[in-house]
Amino acid sequence: MKKICCRFICSASLFAFPLAAAAADISVDSSTIFRFESRDISGAKKQTLLPATKFLGLDVDKLADGNLSLHFNGWGRYDLADKSFNNEKTGGSFTYGYLQYRLNAANADIRAGRLFVHEGIVNEQIDGVSVRTDLPLGFGFSAFGGANVHTRHLADENSDGKGDGNFGGRINYRYKGMLELGASGQYETNAPTLINHITVNHRLVGGDVWLSPHKSVELMGHTSYNTETRGVAEHTYLLNVKPLKHLVLTGEFNEHRERNYFYTWVMFSQLRNPSEKSRSLGGSASYEFSKAVEVAADYKHYTREFGNADRYGADLKLSFLDHSVRSGLGYHYLRAGREFAISGSGNPSASYHELRAYAMHDTKTYFASVDVLDFIFNDKINNEKNAWEAQASLGYHFTPALAVSGDFSYGRNPEFTEEIKGLVRLTYNMTFDSKGGKK
Amino acid sequence: MKFLQQIFPALALGGLVLILTACAQMKAIPGLPASHPEALVAGQQVSCAECHEDQQKGTLKAFDAFSHTPSFVKNHRFYASSDDRLCSICHKSSFCNDCHTNQVEMKPSIKYGNRPDREMPHRGNFMTLHKIEGKLDPASCYRCHGRGNNERCITCHR
Repeated sequence: MKKICCRFICSASLFAFPLAAAAADISVDSSTIFRFESRDISGAKKQTLLPATKFLGLDVDKLADGNLSLHFNGWGRYDLADKSFNNEKTGGSFTYGYLQYRLNAANADIRAGRLFVHEGIVNEQIDGVSVRTDLPLGFGFSAFGGANVHTRHLADENSDGKGDGNFGGRINYRYKGMLELGASGQYETNAPTLINHITVNHRLVGGDVWLSPHKSVELMGHTSYNTETRGVAEHTYLLNVKPLKHLVLTGEFNEHRERNYFYTWVMFSQLRNPSEKSRSLGGSASYEFSKAVEVAADYKHYTREFGNADRYGADLKLSFLDHSVRSGLGYHYLRAGREFAISGSGNPSASYHELRAYAMHDTKTYFASVDVLDFIFNDKINNEKNAWEAQASLGYHFTPALAVSGDFSYGRNPEFTEEIKGLVRLTYNMTFDSKGGKK
Repeated sequence: MKFLQQIFPALALGGLVLILTACAQMKAIPGLPASHPEALVAGQQVSCAECHEDQQKGTLKAFDAFSHTPSFVKNHRFYASSDDRLCSICHKSSFCNDCHTNQVEMKPSIKYGNRPDREMPHRGNFMTLHKIEGKLDPASCYRCHGRGNNERCITCHR
């Protein structure tokens, strides 16, 4: 299957060019990335990895009567040297590929093919159909149905634990630009029987809200309910307040009840405590001094049955020369006790400092960037005090659409004494149309 | 339950009539354009209100709510879950699927190593950090790796 996928993507990339010449609104995004990595782990054979990966995206708009469009995205990999992952030299994924028909009114559309669905509490990928539309009096409706897109089999199982069919939708009501209430749900057909794990069905319902009584205040979030375990799975809510034009204050609350929220996370079913819930409460403030200077500070408190932790920090973003030079500085500190420390490391603390600095320059001809990231642990992990990485990238635009670039990174961390990585990236992003286009 | 079964045909018929009535009136409901008429500058934190401050119509949310402030970028999932049609005016689906997908070949921060200004998850040596972060906030792992995009998790987590 992976070989077929890999060959299909390579072939499709060749088709993209003549197609681009024939149609009116076509966009091609192609990236070919050659990575270089050398692995030398004591007790294991030295490996040289040279995976070549092709990412391809194709969007064809204004087909037929102008409202029909085609969208495709996927990737394929071939290992030019040792196998980079698992036991196969090839890999690939057909991420999405669907036909969409948009009506000119009511934000109505119908999509058919492999697609992602994001509606209220629902986040799924299906091979099927999705329809949605606004309705009179402020109501809205969406529905989807089809076959689940399966992933790799779970360890020692013959499936990924997901049912074959997946159906659901959302209804919503909007009042002016002030309020939106939604109810959504999904029903997955019976999960396959597993050999070493508990078989569980994925079925959720939930409600979501967006409330803005004044343009400077926004409250939004959702609550989901697991109909299989008959319990609330998740509460997640966000409050945004804009007391000044460029000042945004944010508060957030999240609560997850493990048995209900993680019910279908088969991989971790044995590690879950059915009675446990995790909660986080936080806030942030950001201010845009000018188009060139922005600062943000944030704080979050995490609560679990076995302990609590805090994270706080700040970020600064700067841009110059009409945004062609962009840079940032960040510092965060996680205060977390022994309860969160890495198992078996014997550390009395999981606390760490995070520092990051980057800068990039993007011109019509060349582009370059540097990025340095350092995690400083309060207590050593595997005898290492830091996990740091420095990366530099340099590229050149042959044309506005065609560019070649290379990245090189060096780092030291508790996993590898030294980690050296490099890649060469060839990108071709072309839009054949007259409008603004999409990113 | 029996009562529900008895009234289901009537409810279904009523629903069908309502849908047909609504469909007949749909042409009068305004829709968003397929794409943004002007190209937007890459790397700039877009402020929708700069051009759209007083153009809120019907049930459309205020455009300023979608300005890409640090809070918006960090919490974009709330907006995408009910307004992804607005997102799709400026962004292709692939923009989302660089991170939110069913199977990734490499970390988004590696694929876009030349764009350190973009917010990408798991920069640096996350292999070490995930052993701490996973205990701290397992829900943040589950959102992306719970039911898909977990090919590499399965290698160790059995």
